[in-house]
Order: sequence, then structure tokens, then C-alpha cells
Amino acid sequence: MGGGIVKKTRRMALTGSVFAVALAAGGWLAQTGGIIASAEAAGSDTLVIARDMDLDSLDPARAFCDTCQIYISSVYQRLVDLAPDNKTIVPALATKWEINADQTQFTFHLDPKATFSDGSPVEAKDVKWSWLRLKHMKSGPSFMMDGVTAIETPDAHTVVVKLDAPNSEFLGVLTAPYTGVTNSDVAMQHGANDSDKADSTDTAESWFLQNSAGGGPFVLESYRPNDELRLKRNDNYWGKKAAVGEIVIKQTKDAVSQAQMLESGAADIAMQIDPDTAKNISSGDVVIKTVPSFNFVYVAVSPGAKNLPVKLTPKVREAIGYAIDYEGTINLTLGGDGNLQPAPIPNGFPGTDNLPMPVHDVAKAEALLKEAGVADGFTLDAYFPNINVYGVDLSTMMQKVQQDLSKVKIKLNLNPVTFSVWREHINGDGIPVTAVFYAPDYYGSGQYVQYFAMMKGTAWSKRAGAANDPSVLNPKEGDLLAKALAASGDKRDGYFHEIALEIIKDRVIIPVVSPQLVLAYRKNVEGVRYSACCNLPTAELSLK
Amino acid sequence: MQQYILRRLLMMPLLLLGVVTVAFFLSHVTKGDPLSSVVSERQMNNKVVVEAARKRWGLDRSLPDQYRIYLGNLVTGDLGTSFRTKRGVGEDIADRLPATLELVVAAMIVGTGCGIGLGVLAAHKRNEAADHGARFFALIGSSIPVFWSGLILLYLFSVQLGWLPGAGRLDARTAAPPFVTGMFTVDALIAGDLQTFLQALGHLILPAFVLGWAVMGIISRLVRASMLDVLNQDYVLTARAKGAAELRVLLHHALRNALIPTLTIIGYSFAYLITGAVLTEAIFSWPGIGSYAVESARALDYPAIVGVTIIGALAFLLANLVTDVAYALANPKIKLG
Repeated sequence: MGGGIVKKTRRMALTGSVFAVALAAGGWLAQTGGIIASAEAAGSDTLVIARDMDLDSLDPARAFCDTCQIYISSVYQRLVDLAPDNKTIVPALATKWEINADQTQFTFHLDPKATFSDGSPVEAKDVKWSWLRLKHMKSGPSFMMDGVTAIETPDAHTVVVKLDAPNSEFLGVLTAPYTGVTNSDVAMQHGANDSDKADSTDTAESWFLQNSAGGGPFVLESYRPNDELRLKRNDNYWGKKAAVGEIVIKQTKDAVSQAQMLESGAADIAMQIDPDTAKNISSGDVVIKTVPSFNFVYVAVSPGAKNLPVKLTPKVREAIGYAIDYEGTINLTLGGDGNLQPAPIPNGFPGTDNLPMPVHDVAKAEALLKEAGVADGFTLDAYFPNINVYGVDLSTMMQKVQQDLSKVKIKLNLNPVTFSVWREHINGDGIPVTAVFYAPDYYGSGQYVQYFAMMKGTAWSKRAGAANDPSVLNPKEGDLLAKALAASGDKRDGYFHEIALEIIKDRVIIPVVSPQLVLAYRKNVEGVRYSACCNLPTAELSLK
Repeated sequence: MQQYILRRLLMMPLLLLGVVTVAFFLSHVTKGDPLSSVVSERQMNNKVVVEAARKRWGLDRSLPDQYRIYLGNLVTGDLGTSFRTKRGVGEDIADRLPATLELVVAAMIVGTGCGIGLGVLAAHKRNEAADHGARFFALIGSSIPVFWSGLILLYLFSVQLGWLPGAGRLDARTAAPPFVTGMFTVDALIAGDLQTFLQALGHLILPAFVLGWAVMGIISRLVRASMLDVLNQDYVLTARAKGAAELRVLLHHALRNALIPTLTIIGYSFAYLITGAVLTEAIFSWPGIGSYAVESARALDYPAIVGVTIIGALAFLLANLVTDVAYALANPKIKLG
């Protein structure tokens, strides 16, 4: 009996101790949480952006990605900028410019007040050096300097660029962040050079991963790949200084995690919230705005791919285009938050007004297949990157396309693969059907024509198998592009309109959806907007 | 024993050479285009850009040539440059490994500490409610996939209750403490920054528990089984007959011997967690070596793949050695040779 009482007492003591420890731990946890919460509130000069970073470099002449646009436009300044209407080109480093009559010579006058973050002046030699380095690096964004034959610097504040052919979009190209100006003296001290062998002799990339040498509103503070990118305000900025002292871009893989960070206050802006996730955000402290974007997702058909079961003639390709239920796909993948897009040139870009919208017409598709002699159906392989891009899950989208095509007896074998495997396929035998995406580098339609048109040498004429099937090529498009680049204003837009119609007729690139962009941010943040060149103009951000 | 340890250490470079060779050639024969992380999708049909990239990254050379250069660099401690991060692989690993080590050490403390405690409790209260409760808790830990328990606990304790911080090693607004070890809790203490230490510790609790829970299940079951064996031994009965307190019998007489088979599992678990913490790292946005390995594999980042493989192999070799030595230290009857 006495032992029983002792046992009970021990048990009660043990239970009591465990309870006390649990309470103490709970209190400590709550206290820790309190510390964290107060740290968030106190850090009012730091703005946190949750984003799945795709950074491939921080070297302005090598980086080429969506996050790179944000970083480079924050740290390096361009000669011209894109106004908030995403169309008008406005002065930045250059106060004014002149263009010769045939659009082959551009003269820029630099603002003499402009300085780099170390206080040294931005001079014509820096512009020349930066652009030559960009050209000679033979990297992702080097094509921006295609056609540049000479860059002259008659004085410290004048830059004259000469092109090998007219290019009415050259000013637009210069709004791309990749054309930002680097402090050449500083960069050269760390292994950078602008020689025509820069691709193999320039050794500055590792230095650029921890340092910046620009004149933008921010400077690089620190970078840890796949973790965070920290920018701090450039206190020597010669223009209007940034309102926030520090910007942290925090690696956050998926939309749900980004939304959680936003709702909890751990992030101020979430950049890749898809419409479905946005609908589940209930916090009154979060502002959600949906705006049209210039991004789009497309299906591509390659008539020149090897080992095709049937010839993918223009009629067959047209039938595929009619068989796809575009509205249904937008509803399935984005809950309706996307727009139809007629051609692989974003809606609102030069030449896209009044283009015929894609139509879903199964009867017409069947009739076309009958005319082509393949009414009994056939099977095609589809390889595509297994990714979610701009809120569109490519696997889901392709399942819908598979379902749609099955209604006209075309069987699609879906093969979602990693990007590296996809590349090997498309560079090898070619892929009969695929799905990819595109986002603009600047405001201008030329970039799309030079990529999607069936002109000799374009990326998609190669991938469509023009080498195997030259009938894919459309010579009209090259002539029209030359005319568009030599014209300006409405005339230029008219030529781009004609090119867009030709690209639609090619039926190689079938835009499926232009996803709307969800701008999600806490209500104390101001200045959040989408930019066609720079994604998110960080200099305009402020905290209330 | 010293000779044994020295012999094992001297064997390691040979074993690592084998691992490097297999990893190097296996990664190069894997399907895919390694330029996917070097040349953007838009420029992949641009011959000039592609050729420049191949040359820059040494992919224009023959495979034996690439292997020879890699080994030559490896001898000097150069693990190459990552295609993705454009930094030295050694630098990347030095950045990522401490994050994983911090997580794994914390997980091992949780896993072994609670696992041994639960095992002892279950053995002591055999077939009683505490035994069933401990086994059920352990079973959940070893059965539930880490990605599921991680998400649920994150949602419960961070989103709903707000008791613990969310993903990441620190709050985004907090700068990392000055680098000494790369483990934020340790570095914050060294810097005397209590607030950052508490924050880092707060961020560590959930992922460490989730990772440690899986190990906890295995360890507790093993300790329970060993304890049940040992508790029936004569020397334990003798200790009890002599009037030794039950706690002393359990911890001093029984547990010491019951722990010997568990040491092997603890050693392997440590190495396993270093290379296998990838799911926990993914869920908790923990920038460790596991997520680095997965990202590298997806992008066919050869230098990073081989670099991580070397670290993984090294972790297993060292864990094996430490386990063997600990085994001998725990049981003097075991002779190493």
C-alpha cells in the first residue's frame, strides 16, 4: 500500500514535470516567435520579395533570365528606359538622342551628372566598353548587340552607334537591362575585358557574383545561390534615391510557400503566385491585383522532325490548331485568368492589333485532316519540360491538348522531361509536338520574329526541321521584317501585322495562353507594377 | 587501434578515386544536354553562343580528356566550377554543407535522444500503455514520409499556431551572422548575437524534429529490443538483487550494453541524413547539400554532381570508421584489426 502511494506520487511528479517542461517550452517558443515578429516589424527599411530565382549569373554581360532582369535593372543603368505604359521610351542615362533617316546611326547624349556607385562619372567610354563586352561575350544576351558595326565616342558624353542595317527597334533593345552600363575601370581591375576574345579571356564573372559596378539605384550587398540576393540602396545615386534601404529577394520555390510568406508578413511581395493560389489568400493585409502580361505559353509542331508517322503538312498543322480548345485550356490551367493570343507576339506589341483570335472548331479540324488524307488518325510524340511556368503547369496543359487532339483521332504520347533532356531531344531528331514559353526582353516585335518566324537561321525554323523539310520556310517573313525595321510608327506596325499573319499561317507556333500576372503584395507596399523590360522596377518600390 | 584507424584513413583516397571515376562517367552518360544551365533556351540554336559555351566549360574536349583534367584539378583541391551557380563547387559545398550539418546534428540529437529515451521507456514498461504509446509514436515517425510530416507540422506550428517560424534558416530580414562555421546557431553565439541565435534555433526546431523523427523510430525500436534482451541477463538480475535503484539498473547496467548494436545505426543514420536530407531541405527551403545535389542532378551540372558524390562518399567512409571505433570503445571485447 505504502509502495503504491510512493509510485502514484512519483507518477504525479513525473507528469507534473513533463507538463511544466512543455509549458516552459511553449512559452519559450511563443517568446521566440515574438522576437521574430518584432524583428519583421522593426525592419521597415527592408523589403522582402519571395521568388523562385532563376539567376544564371550576376555578370551583366552573361546573365539572361527573368530574375536577372530585376537584378540588372536595379544595379545597372541603361541609356533609355521604358515608361510605365510599357510602350514609351524615356530618357535615363541619355538625356536625348538623334536617329539618322535610314535608322542605321543612333547618337546619344549622356547626362553629365550621371555617376557610378563609387562616385566616378558615367562616360561614353563606359557605354562603348559595356556594349562591346556584351557583344564579344557570345553569351545569352549578346544578340542585343547584333548588327552593331561601330561605337564611336567623339567626347566623354556622346555615343554614336552604327548598325549594318536599319533597325527601328534598336532604341527598344536598349531598354533591356542587359544593355546596362558597367563601370569599365572597376570591372577591368577584376578581369573583365571587351576584346573580341572576351568569351574566353574575361574572368570577371566570379567577381560579379559578389560585387557590382553599376550606377543604378541599388548595389549588390550579398548573394547566396538558391538562398537569397541582397541589394542595398546606392546612396551615391545621382537621380532620385530609392525609397527602401534594402531589398532581399528570398528563394521561395512554389506559389503556396510564397503565399504563406506573404500572409505571415515574412515577405512583402510574392512574385509567382498563380491565380488558383491567389484565390486562397484571405489575409486583409495582402493586396492582389491581376494584370495582363506579355508572357505566353505555346505549343509547337515540327514538320521536319525525324521519324514522323505522317507528313505534318500545313493542312495537318492547321487542323491541330483548330482541334485545341483554347478557352477550355485557359480555364483548366489558370482558372480562366489568361488571355487568348493570336500570334507568338504578345498582345499589345507592335502589329498585334486586330489579329484573328485562335478558334476551336473540331468539325473544321476533321475536314482538314480528311483533305490531307489522314482522317483515320495517327500518333505523335510530345516531349516538353516538366515545369510550371507563369502559373501554367505544362503537364496539365498538354494533357488537355492530348484530350482535344484525341477527338480528331490524333493520339499524343506525352513525355514530360527535365529541361536538359528536352534540349537534347529538340537539338537531336527534333520533337513532333512540344510546349514551351516566352517572356519579352524589351518592348518590340522584332525579337519574336527573329525567334519564331520561319526565316532561315531563326531558332524555330531550325527546331521545326527546316533542314529536313525546306518547305517550312516562309521567305515573305524575312522581307517583311527588313521593311518593318526600316520603317517607323504606323508603317512599322503595319509590317509587323503582316508578319504576324504570316506566322499564324505557318502553323508551327500555336500560342495557347497568355497568363495574367498576379501582383501580390502587402498593403504597406507601394509602387508594385509589371514592366515589359524589367519585370519589377525596384526603384519605384516603397514601404508606407 | 591507432594503426587500424591510420590504415582505414590511408585506404580512403583509393576508395574515393573509385567513387569519383564511377560518378564522373555515370553523370556524363546520363541523357540530357548539360548546356541547359549555361546557354539559355532561346540561344540554344545559336551556333556561336553554343560553341563559345562548350569551349568555356571544357565540353568540347573528349571525355577521357575531361576526366584527366578533372583528376588533375582534384589533386590540387579544385572541384571545378558549377555550371549553374558559376562558383567553385568547393565554395558552393562550403556554403551548403554547414547548413546540412547543422540540421543533421540537431536531427540526430532529437532522433537519438528521444529514440533512446523512448526505447528504454518501452522496454521498461513492456506491454503497458507507455510501451504501446512509445512504439506508436516511433512507428509514425518511421512510417510517415518526411515531405508529408514536414508540410503538416509547418502548417500547424507556423501557419496556424504561429509558434514557430516558417521556412528558411533565418527570417528574410535578418542578415546571416558573420561566417565562422557556417552554422547560424553557432556563428550567432560566437558573434554574441542572442536574437539571431534564438531566431536560428527557432527555424531549426521543426526541420530537425521532422528529420529526427524518422531516425527516432528506428533507434527506439532497436533500443527496446536490445534492452529487453539485456534486462533478462544475470548481471542485471544481480544488480537488482543487490538493491540498485531501478533508474541505475536501466541506465548504468542495461542501457550501456544495449546501446552497442544501436551505435551502428546511429553512425549510418548520420551519414544517411547528410546525403538524404533533401526532402526536408526542400520543404523547409533549407539551402543545404541535399537540395544542392538535386538541383545539380536536374541540370546535369557535372562538376557539382561529382563534388557532392565525393562529399557523400566521404561522409559514409568517415561514419563507418567512427562507428567501428565507437563499437570497440563501447565493448572492449571487440578487437579492431
